[in-house]
Amino acid sequence: MNTRRATAEPRWVRLLLTGVALGFLFLFLVLPLIAVFWEAFAHGAQAYWEALQDGEAHSAMLLTLTIAAVVLPFNIAFGVAAAWAIAKFEFRGKSLLTTLIDLPFAVSPVVAGLIFIILFGAQGFFGQWLVANDIKIIFALPGMVLATLFVTFPFVARELIPLMQAQGRDEEEAAVSLGASGWQMFFRVTLPNIKWGLMYGLILANARAMGEFGAVSVVSGHIRGETNTLPLHVEILYNEYNQIGAFAAATVLALLGLVTLVVKTIVEWRMRKETEMLTADLPPEKTELPPSVATERP
Amino acid sequence: MSIEIRNISKRFGNFVALDNLSLDIPTGELVALLGPSGCGKTTLLRIIAGMETPDAGNVLFGGEEATHVHARERQVGFVFQHYALFRHMSVFENVAFGLRVRPRKERPSEAEIRERVMGLLKLVQLDWLAQRYPSQLSGGQRQRIALARALAVEPKVLLLDEPFGALDTKVRKELRRWLRRLHDEMHISSVFVTHDQEEALEVADRVVVMNRGHIEQIGSPDEVYSSPASPFVYQFLGNVNVFHSRVHGSWAEVEREGENTEAGSIAFVRPHDIELDLAPLPGGMTAVVRHVHRIGPLVRVELEHEAEMIEVELTRERATTLDLPLGKTVWIKPRQAKIFAADTAKPADKQPFLF
Repeated sequence: MNTRRATAEPRWVRLLLTGVALGFLFLFLVLPLIAVFWEAFAHGAQAYWEALQDGEAHSAMLLTLTIAAVVLPFNIAFGVAAAWAIAKFEFRGKSLLTTLIDLPFAVSPVVAGLIFIILFGAQGFFGQWLVANDIKIIFALPGMVLATLFVTFPFVARELIPLMQAQGRDEEEAAVSLGASGWQMFFRVTLPNIKWGLMYGLILANARAMGEFGAVSVVSGHIRGETNTLPLHVEILYNEYNQIGAFAAATVLALLGLVTLVVKTIVEWRMRKETEMLTADLPPEKTELPPSVATERP
Repeated sequence: MSIEIRNISKRFGNFVALDNLSLDIPTGELVALLGPSGCGKTTLLRIIAGMETPDAGNVLFGGEEATHVHARERQVGFVFQHYALFRHMSVFENVAFGLRVRPRKERPSEAEIRERVMGLLKLVQLDWLAQRYPSQLSGGQRQRIALARALAVEPKVLLLDEPFGALDTKVRKELRRWLRRLHDEMHISSVFVTHDQEEALEVADRVVVMNRGHIEQIGSPDEVYSSPASPFVYQFLGNVNVFHSRVHGSWAEVEREGENTEAGSIAFVRPHDIELDLAPLPGGMTAVVRHVHRIGPLVRVELEHEAEMIEVELTRERATTLDLPLGKTVWIKPRQAKIFAADTAKPADKQPFLF
């Protein structure tokens, strides 16, 4: 059929644009990914496997997973609370809070790390007190968790704010007028409505938590086998000309990234399905007989 | 249960939503809060429901103080303009919600819940939709489900916030008659908010006309329409021609007969209360036909009289007999008018115009 829409470009334009996009994708995403695996397996699967068996690599993986596991629950709590406050209530300083949520995106991660050094480092504000009470934050797990929390905080909140704003307060108010308590309202109405958005935000936050380099690098102190996360471990090995080790560890990160991508796609698909359900074409109103209470009721 | 509202005031920043407002709603009545947007009618409804807290004043339910009773304990059924159905729950679960969130001791058994919910769905004639989701329903169906959900908790008061505002005209008309019949059967005190005067006049036992945070008039639909207490009510309920004193001067013939056309008063004439003829009318005046709109059974004629537009409504039959071409000069004469003193906006203590 020769029906051309007004917005449709000629065939060659479409091919060109698609080609440019795909070429770019290949050059900057697929090629590096292949290179990582290529380098990792440069001396065969045996060498690759041995590089991964290294004790320091193991502890780096464990540390990365630990940090993510600690950070994500905090992200749920902070993200939902912040989004709830911003989307459902009017209060003084709301726009300030909205801006502050974006701060971690605007600030360089290295600066974020330095903030925690200034606060909790030996020469920092709370340094003396922390040393006196024998609490280690900087160059230890708590500091790395804090730095990761800082850089991952916006993801959940930013995902939820527009969603909750679009959904409005009506359903919550309906729940309350029907006698629901605050918790019942949250778990039966609010949470089911935002679950896919929350999941999406968490996936992004998780990817960032596992891959974070700058902020964590500043507060970690690079103590081998103790405070090295996977990304830091990769850098150290690379700087020591341990190509196989570095790239083997990098493949683990890349695999984590690929898993994230798959889960993200599934969640996106679910979210789209739910929005489609909300906007689906409505069946026409039945008009043959007006609804009557009097005639139909026995 | 009766609702008493005592000297309620509510501000949002600098905006005064309700200004020292008092209102009694007797048991079992269906009351309409009618007014333009921003008049405070929805705020008043939300204060009754406990979703807003008044800055001053009290709300009494059945004579008991309820101002600071939490919304969840007020036993109020609330129906929202945009339905506010729980989108992730089936129709059945939506209606069952109010029963399921009850404390364990008061919660009915699963069988009782099923029986109650299906009974309500039969009442709104949508029992065949029990397993559907809200997104699969039409607007009219959604609002009936929302009503069933509100009724499930056996509320003492039913509050409806522009319940038919989001529906198209045909469905809206059906649903409001249906609501009226439902109310006649259940006799539950109900308050509904609307900006549609036709809806208020058709459905309500009593109409509360609101403007800028206070009540302009309370009365039966007939009272507020036929004897409006203020120029605002007159203008809000139906179309109207306004004649200021400036125009009065030109109504020379009018002044001759009327005794109450003093300067500074406003005369209101409904478009259907103006007689129109091709032949001179004694005591009438001339005007030029500018537009003729045929709207269903009515014909609306726009006339120009000394640069003022005057609207006249005729039956289709009459308009056909007269045959009004544009630009033709015709005679018009108000059959009746309502006069208010312009400065006080209070009804002038005078007999209506006699032209």
